[in-house]
Amino acid sequence: MIRKLFDIIANNAVPAIFILISAFAIPLSGFSASYLIQELLTRIGRNSFLILSLLIPIMAGMGLNFGMVLGAMAGQIGLLLICDWGVVGIPGMVLACLIGTPIAIVLGIFCGHVLNRAKGREMVTSYILGFFINGVYQMVVLYLMGWVIPITNPNLLLSRGYGVRNAVSLMGIRGVLDNLVPTIITGTEGANQFLNINGAKSFLLLQIPCLEGSIRLPLGTFIVIALFCGFIVWFRKTKLGQDMRAIGQSQSVSDSAGIPVNRTRIIAIVISTVLACYGQIIYLQNMGTLNTYNSHDQAGMFSIAALLIGGASVSKANIMNVFVGVILFHLMFIVAPMAGKNLIGEAQIGEYFRVFVSYGIIALALVLHAWKRNREREAARRSLRGNKGGE
Amino acid sequence: MFVAFLKFLFRWFQRLVVLAALIALGIWLFYIGREHQIFLDNKNFENFKAFEQVNVSINGGEEIELMQRERNLAKVVEPKFEVEAKIFNDDGEISNVVKRTVNLCFSKDIMINLPVFAVSDDGFIVPAPK
Repeated sequence: MIRKLFDIIANNAVPAIFILISAFAIPLSGFSASYLIQELLTRIGRNSFLILSLLIPIMAGMGLNFGMVLGAMAGQIGLLLICDWGVVGIPGMVLACLIGTPIAIVLGIFCGHVLNRAKGREMVTSYILGFFINGVYQMVVLYLMGWVIPITNPNLLLSRGYGVRNAVSLMGIRGVLDNLVPTIITGTEGANQFLNINGAKSFLLLQIPCLEGSIRLPLGTFIVIALFCGFIVWFRKTKLGQDMRAIGQSQSVSDSAGIPVNRTRIIAIVISTVLACYGQIIYLQNMGTLNTYNSHDQAGMFSIAALLIGGASVSKANIMNVFVGVILFHLMFIVAPMAGKNLIGEAQIGEYFRVFVSYGIIALALVLHAWKRNREREAARRSLRGNKGGE
Repeated sequence: MFVAFLKFLFRWFQRLVVLAALIALGIWLFYIGREHQIFLDNKNFENFKAFEQVNVSINGGEEIELMQRERNLAKVVEPKFEVEAKIFNDDGEISNVVKRTVNLCFSKDIMINLPVFAVSDDGFIVPAPK
């Protein structure tokens, strides 16, 4: 009984800690419910796709794909090119995805081959691989664009004539997916106010009587995320999905059963990289600004932190973990600075606290995973010896 | 052996078809999604004299007012758009309304010379200033 309780706590330690911290921080921050919901909905739409792209490599037993930054870089190259060509709106976004896809596939194949040579150490290898490809990306963007790759838009180029500026405005595609189906959630009074301000503009109006103010719902992005969730559920049931799950359980058994282990692992990484490419494009269309040399840097770390906070582990993750994680992680982002300010008088303290806790959580999740794995190994060894007493 | 070769060929044919379809999709997206800068120019051009005042609207949008020797900028996303110019006389009354459809195809930015636009079906598109 105590052991079971201990197991439940150990399995859900990370989300439990975050729920506890949030329970203290929300009242301290003093934010209204509608503000928090608005911020959370925006951030769920912005980040979920990126985090969902991590699920397939976990299914294939490859751990957390820190190499998703490769996909993010591919997406950014697509965005830079559409900015130069002046393609805007949904066609611009789809074109960026089209350009990013082959780059992400090539990078994914490369990453998959490297990870196949580093079995058992995929996470640290993909993390370092991210740094390596970052160097290649910087060479392409800083030296080849405008010199070898034609860039005609002077707003994109550095004053020396080649290399892309550090900050690129994505006004042409800003919010195009979020506002594809403009949707507003308001209370009864808010609806009248909103109609007075916006007149006859076409939008979907949902009313919740007790709600104060109005909330903008990025319905277009949510539809895409829902389709992606549907794809993951369907993919698990396909032959390839089952193969990946089998490889996730045991590579040697899968190999004996005739599953092409290395090939399947490469496919898992390619799918993840391509989806990370789309995720980064969705993320940046929401932000509206591309930080050319840094936007992709944190994509992997933030997504992995969010997934772990949602209760996932290195070897097990599901769609629910993604949404719980993105809510808890970003709730901390929103409330921590203000809670810190109201508690101690300095917002910076709250922000330090958030960073400390968020990344401490990654370490905690990894330590818990290693500890659990060692315990399971020990239990398996004991059961082989036929010793049930624990000695 | 021959059947295997045919299968191999068919698989490559399928891949090529998908690749061609994706390239075609990319070109189509580029065509329909490109934003064009349209410079509206109300200046003397060869033998055509600038108008006192001309109001221009693109695709039925907000009117842009241009006085003599003025130049303004509008942005359109589709390659094909409709330009309507309301030409005012010295008394401030509308003397003529001209409506034409412009197809930019793959070119990016253009300049429309309004004095030519008012009288001629072609020749009113001039290269955009850099």
